[in-house]
Amino acid sequence: MFDIFPTAFIFFAGALIVAIAPGHRLRSAIALLIPVMAAWQVYNIPEGVFARAEIFGQTLEMMRVDKLSRVFALIFCIAAFLGNLYAWHVRDRVQQLAALFYSGSALGAVFAGDLITLFFYWEGTAIASVFLIWARGTIGAYNTGLRYLIIQIMSGVILLSGAALLWRETGSIAFDKMTLGSLGTWLIFISFGMKCAFPLMHNWLQDSYPAATVTGTVILSAFTTKLAVYALARGFAGTEILIYIGAIMTLFPIFFAEIENDLRRVLAYSLNNQLGFMVVGVGIGTEMALNGTASHAFAHILYKALLFMSVGAVLFRTGTSKASELGGLCRTMPKTAIFCLIGAASISAFPLFSGFVTKSLIVDATAENHYTLIWAVLVFASAGVLSHSGIKIPYFTFFGHDSGLRPKEAPLHMLLAMGITAFLCIYIGVNPDPLYALLPYEVEYHPYTMNHVVAQLQLLCFALLAFVILMKTGLHPPEVRAINLDTDWIYRRILPDIVMSFGRGLGAVWTSAGQSAGMFFGDFYKWLEKVLGPETGVSGVRPVGTMTLWVSVLLSISLVIAYL
Amino acid sequence: MAHIPSDKNEKLPFLGRLLSWFTLPQNSKFIIGALAIVCIGLFLADFTYKKYGHFEVETYKGFYGAYGFVMFTALILLAKTLRYFIQQPEDYYGDKAIDREEYPEDQLEKLGHEDV
Repeated sequence: MFDIFPTAFIFFAGALIVAIAPGHRLRSAIALLIPVMAAWQVYNIPEGVFARAEIFGQTLEMMRVDKLSRVFALIFCIAAFLGNLYAWHVRDRVQQLAALFYSGSALGAVFAGDLITLFFYWEGTAIASVFLIWARGTIGAYNTGLRYLIIQIMSGVILLSGAALLWRETGSIAFDKMTLGSLGTWLIFISFGMKCAFPLMHNWLQDSYPAATVTGTVILSAFTTKLAVYALARGFAGTEILIYIGAIMTLFPIFFAEIENDLRRVLAYSLNNQLGFMVVGVGIGTEMALNGTASHAFAHILYKALLFMSVGAVLFRTGTSKASELGGLCRTMPKTAIFCLIGAASISAFPLFSGFVTKSLIVDATAENHYTLIWAVLVFASAGVLSHSGIKIPYFTFFGHDSGLRPKEAPLHMLLAMGITAFLCIYIGVNPDPLYALLPYEVEYHPYTMNHVVAQLQLLCFALLAFVILMKTGLHPPEVRAINLDTDWIYRRILPDIVMSFGRGLGAVWTSAGQSAGMFFGDFYKWLEKVLGPETGVSGVRPVGTMTLWVSVLLSISLVIAYL
Repeated sequence: MAHIPSDKNEKLPFLGRLLSWFTLPQNSKFIIGALAIVCIGLFLADFTYKKYGHFEVETYKGFYGAYGFVMFTALILLAKTLRYFIQQPEDYYGDKAIDREEYPEDQLEKLGHEDV
């Protein structure tokens, strides 16, 4: 049928087996085997375009393999493996299926060589992933999932409209580099932006990720947004507006993350901030910057998953992920605490950890291309990352004040998943060359120079010092049980309120209009009855002669007028 | 799960006892002191090599340290101010959000550290 079996289909075939396989252990084992098989295929497949299909005179390309798609596909396979290992205990068949369909769709989208294939997988990720939120099984999760699904599907519909317009314009559905200009390209850009959580389109991320199940959030964190980053890198590399969008993305979430109480939402804000770095890289669009984006996405998927895993393990053992309820857990969950610290050090880009060797590619690219302000923003945002992901997550969960909670250490499979992820975070940091070799372009970059190491350590350690001083002086905001409004307040609260009050107003107008109309028509009818009713002269019976007389009068008048 | 007040004689796993050293109040001075020494060391390190950078400001001694310190402080204070404007109780969105809900118990394995 196909010259190469599309990688996505490996996942779908696995999902079909999981759908009928008895016993959750067997299903979990299949869910682990599938990403390994897929990774083996992705690693060994030669570059080129495979698995073509003709439909309505258009060629669909299901496997466009080059270095850019391969590096994203590989990390997606790794993320699927680690996420499924972390979810080894899950008995819920729906979640196991959703995870496989979701990661398979993400891989399909990465390999899509045309916009129609991309669209199908784009929607596939949306539909499959919502079950990871609904699986929580509460009314809040149900409503959150609906909001998530609406936005994700909308992104797909906009993508399809854009693709249709672009096809009419150019006669091609190929998914290649585009230039912003026509309505079609703008729609595609916006569609990517929605999934990439551009500012003002970001709310679905912080809204939905904390609502998913313990394991669902870990899986969600890897795919959707990085697929969008890949799509931007493929379609809009070097689009300057992305530099500014990305810079804003690095900036605003750090403020929200700082005061957020739910640690899984803190991580969602932090994810948004990390996407900003990648988007800046795409916007700059040079080889070095795109390498930065791809490698940062790779490293980011790992350390972000690690952080979500560690907070998830705490939620699994204590029933809460709220900073105000936690603290001091390092006593009985020390391994989870250490893995969390490794994730924290990686995202904060401490030397010898993965973030250091990837983020600096992007930050240096801004400097090299003389974007002074953007560079200053990114360095500031790097300090901001330290504040919420580097300090807040580990400190308020595992250290800080003693909450009195003494939960058991995370189960073995979770520790194993965290351990492997933590190992990869350190391995990439210590030895970045294997990752650099996977990147789309040749890398000539040496992160470990005295200049760079000291600069980064100064930035982080002095920020740490600032944290200590703020804590000691009581200036650091305490963790309190509360939520913070974000711009989704507009569509979650204000717009429904406006619609409701407009509805009520309209109802009131309608009722009173009905009443006054009733009164008006009542009076009018009475008047009509008085003038034309059966008792009046108009309705009386007249002899035929009267009518004949009046007709002849009227005819005479018209005759006279005609002759005048 | 048992809520145990912090107790020196508590039975903890080895790693846990090791890590809990960092949480003891009597050790905080030592930790802060060590951090301060590291910071001073990093500042002094700037004098030992030739600093280069794409911007002139990067070559100033201790620039990154100062930038990190000032911006971090500004970030925290600004975020704290932001809280006055956007903070709401957890049930603000009612059953439309998960914030006021408990996580379903049947999907968890809530165990104490001495439970088997």
